[in-house]
Amino acid sequence: MTRAPSRPPPAGRWPLIRALLLAFLAVWLLLTLFPIYWQFITAFKSTGETNLTVPTFWPREWHPENFAAIFFERSNLNALIDSFLIATGNTLASLFLGSLAGYAFARFPRQAGGENLAFWILSNRMFPPVAVLIPLFLLFDSLPWGTDSRLSLIILYLIFNMPLATWLMMVFFRDAPRELEEAAYLDGYTPARAFIKVTLPLVLPGMISVAMLCWIFAWNEYLFANLFVGTEVRTFTIVIPTFSHGSQTLWNLQMAFSLIAMLPPVVMFIALRRYMVRGLSLGVVKG
Amino acid sequence: MTAKTTTQTEPQWFVNRKPGRSIIVARWVPVALVSAPVLILFAIVIYPTIWMFYHALQDTNMVRLFQGSWSYVGFANFAGVLGAERFWNSVVNLLVYLSFGACLQVLLGAALALILYETVKSNALRTTLLILMVLPMMLPPSIVGVVWRFLLTPSNGAINQALLNLGLIDSHIEWFNAGVSLWSVIIADVWNWTALPLLIVYSGRVSLPPAVYEAAQVDGADGWTTLRRITLPMLKEIIAIAFIIRFMDALKFVDLVFVMTSGGPAQSSELPAYIAFQRGIRSFEIGEAAAYAIIIFIFSAVLITLFLKYIKKVLNAQGFA
Amino acid sequence: MAGLETRGLCKGWDFPLLDQLDLSVEEGEFFVVVGPSGAGKTTLLRLIAGLESADAGRIFIGAREVTRIPPYHRRAAMTFESYALYPHLSVFENIASPLRARGERDPSVRRRVTAIAELLQIERLLERKPDEVSGGQKQRAALGRTLAADPEVFLLDEPLSHLDARIRHDLRRQFHTLEALRKTATLYVTHDYTEALSLGDRIAVIGGGGFLQVGSARDIYENPVSVEVARHLGQLEINVHDAELVAQGGQLQARVAGAGDLSFPVAEQHARQLTAASTSAKREVSLAVRPQHIALAGPDAGGVPGVAESFQAFGATGALTVTVGGATFRVLTSPDLDFREGMPVRLAFDTAHFLYFARDGGRNLARGESGDG
Repeated sequence: MTRAPSRPPPAGRWPLIRALLLAFLAVWLLLTLFPIYWQFITAFKSTGETNLTVPTFWPREWHPENFAAIFFERSNLNALIDSFLIATGNTLASLFLGSLAGYAFARFPRQAGGENLAFWILSNRMFPPVAVLIPLFLLFDSLPWGTDSRLSLIILYLIFNMPLATWLMMVFFRDAPRELEEAAYLDGYTPARAFIKVTLPLVLPGMISVAMLCWIFAWNEYLFANLFVGTEVRTFTIVIPTFSHGSQTLWNLQMAFSLIAMLPPVVMFIALRRYMVRGLSLGVVKG
Repeated sequence: MTAKTTTQTEPQWFVNRKPGRSIIVARWVPVALVSAPVLILFAIVIYPTIWMFYHALQDTNMVRLFQGSWSYVGFANFAGVLGAERFWNSVVNLLVYLSFGACLQVLLGAALALILYETVKSNALRTTLLILMVLPMMLPPSIVGVVWRFLLTPSNGAINQALLNLGLIDSHIEWFNAGVSLWSVIIADVWNWTALPLLIVYSGRVSLPPAVYEAAQVDGADGWTTLRRITLPMLKEIIAIAFIIRFMDALKFVDLVFVMTSGGPAQSSELPAYIAFQRGIRSFEIGEAAAYAIIIFIFSAVLITLFLKYIKKVLNAQGFA
Repeated sequence: MAGLETRGLCKGWDFPLLDQLDLSVEEGEFFVVVGPSGAGKTTLLRLIAGLESADAGRIFIGAREVTRIPPYHRRAAMTFESYALYPHLSVFENIASPLRARGERDPSVRRRVTAIAELLQIERLLERKPDEVSGGQKQRAALGRTLAADPEVFLLDEPLSHLDARIRHDLRRQFHTLEALRKTATLYVTHDYTEALSLGDRIAVIGGGGFLQVGSARDIYENPVSVEVARHLGQLEINVHDAELVAQGGQLQARVAGAGDLSFPVAEQHARQLTAASTSAKREVSLAVRPQHIALAGPDAGGVPGVAESFQAFGATGALTVTVGGATFRVLTSPDLDFREGMPVRLAFDTAHFLYFARDGGRNLARGESGDG
């Protein structure tokens, strides 16, 4: 990130205004972090403490075993595993299909269908899935693997992740100089081999960032998972909201579980920071 | 070998040439590379859309669908939807959500982005703050819903307790009563998604050319003038995109409603997308749900078109497309 | 058998760029194409390499027609003006790239790359990445990669243009001595006429969609087919003035227009050519004199009197502008002279090297027999 030396002159009321603006920023930051803080301390509380009439803002005693309790229950572990398999499978598929198409759009725009087709593919990312849930459900119900399967979600998440991958990979491929591929052709590499030898290593950092982004979106998805799976396959996104023990909601365990489930996207997001401001910001459109 | 001079008229071969012919890869290769995503999108987006359009015009539900006994009713489903109080109630909710959810998020996000960029001097600190402020948007929406349901628990929730401690309220707010529950959803959504316009506007601000600001500084423009005369006009399209994206999201907004209130109590916090989901999937009223879906689809299509228009502008300006 | 040949090669983008271009480079020949940027030099190379497809015409490498053969099967090696070194691979792997493409075994790759690196004197840089070496070293690495390809034709695109003077000189000498380049057809394009004249076995001047002239350095320099070619080649731009040919006492004289009574006797070999055709059409000519064919005459040696206008020293040479009557001449001098505006000078013209062009079309009217035309 480079910065413009655009700071206004420090004369007059500016220092006061700046202090007020910084205070505003600080308040918003507090509001942003408070729910996560609450989630965190609740996850360590005892069940009794979570049910106090006056909630405590700092745990009286710490119960890290709450986290272990999540993993002791087989169904929780399975939910995390299912979410992981679905997110990973979908990421690989999105990245594979999106890279090939993005490459075609970047290198052979005319033969690949041109800008309009590229924009049409992108527009699918904004498509309201709620408008097509029923026919999709019927369609997948008629397929051999049915709706309640990992494969169904892996395919469905292509609706938002494949356009994203196509579009971002197109941008990355455009940035990789075409001349290097041409040099490889003259060295005797066929286009497929030139792609692997020269272009792929150059776009790999970008590709990894796209993969992380796709993975986060697939990991977080709720609507399709809620409708399509639930018996054979259960993602954590549908398990956590209905997480209960008998008739009682165990807030501490629910918060511990959600903290565990939040960890991968948060870590990946921090890893993405290099790409966050340039390039990805327009791609980070809600799925 | 003979010397040649320029010919003024275009030679025959030039008139007949076929541009874009490549000997590097066969003509079908780019077509094949693009066709897989296109075919998949046809199967899972275009075909279902056509299906919905067709069934929006039929009198049908799940039973009739399986019996194959649906019948054409023209626009009766739409008339039914438009005549129902439930629909208009959801439209009013949507308008409230758009003004206090979507619009607030964009204004707040834009303000925070510019404040962050202009007032925090240290590079490392600015990046750290940006990451922290953008973080909520990367969290699974179902967890956001659960956490906020917990925070807003009326009897012993953290928010009520904090407001009591601060002396802002005398008694617990019933966050999930009729008339309030929509606001609870909006609060959670603002927390969740202000990050997106913030990130978009921040990125836009970063990409503005420093030279313009140097010139303004030489001219002695103060901060406010610089903001009004330079920053905001140059970020016009970017901010428009942030609005459009949040409006599009409003049309498909289901998850937080589902997790936090299930549209209740008594359908008071329903949005159109949630009804489409409910009627189609829970009540199997396919014709009616399709009508909802088509209405949502049409508004989305308009917004997507607008979005593409603006994003082409921005991408062209940034040299992407 | 030709190493490289094109027949009627055509390529256009928004306008026709190469129009019916015929080219033939023998095996072992170093053929230089010189011309201004935008004349189609790089396009010609890319067509031959197969990176662009021709709109019409045929291309032969060796005995084989390659017009529709993709670049990776053409056995042409090319250096790019930007070097196009693979940034993620070491210099060694860059040079080894064509060998790896053929699936050669590791020991033989190592042997070959080391030999090429020694030849180009970059053996100590082999483990570095392209970003970590200088411009001249990058250029050598790129050249090394083309040498490793062991091609049937070398295509070199302005390989010296971005280098500083000393490295240019070194590399220019290397081009003459590289064994591989002496055995294979080499097509070298440049906008730098000095490079062209010093390197080429044959030189083609490109312009207007085709070759304006093809010939040896000496031929092109001394016997340009047109004023356009003459203008293009030469240190300091050639002096061109309208002149009228008049016979005076059995001696043909060229009287410079607008310069009072300034006139020069036409050298005998030129007069023969000029009078060979009908005189009436050839009376009005463009007279061209290269700056190096005008010398400063001593105060007593006669010569044409003029007035110094300006002087510029360029290191090894100096450029003096002189007005004679109303005509201005650029004169190539030594750099260590001191002229002030308005100083009188005397000029000695070497009329044997004068060039006479048609005013209409610029054709050389007194072209000798030595050309290939």
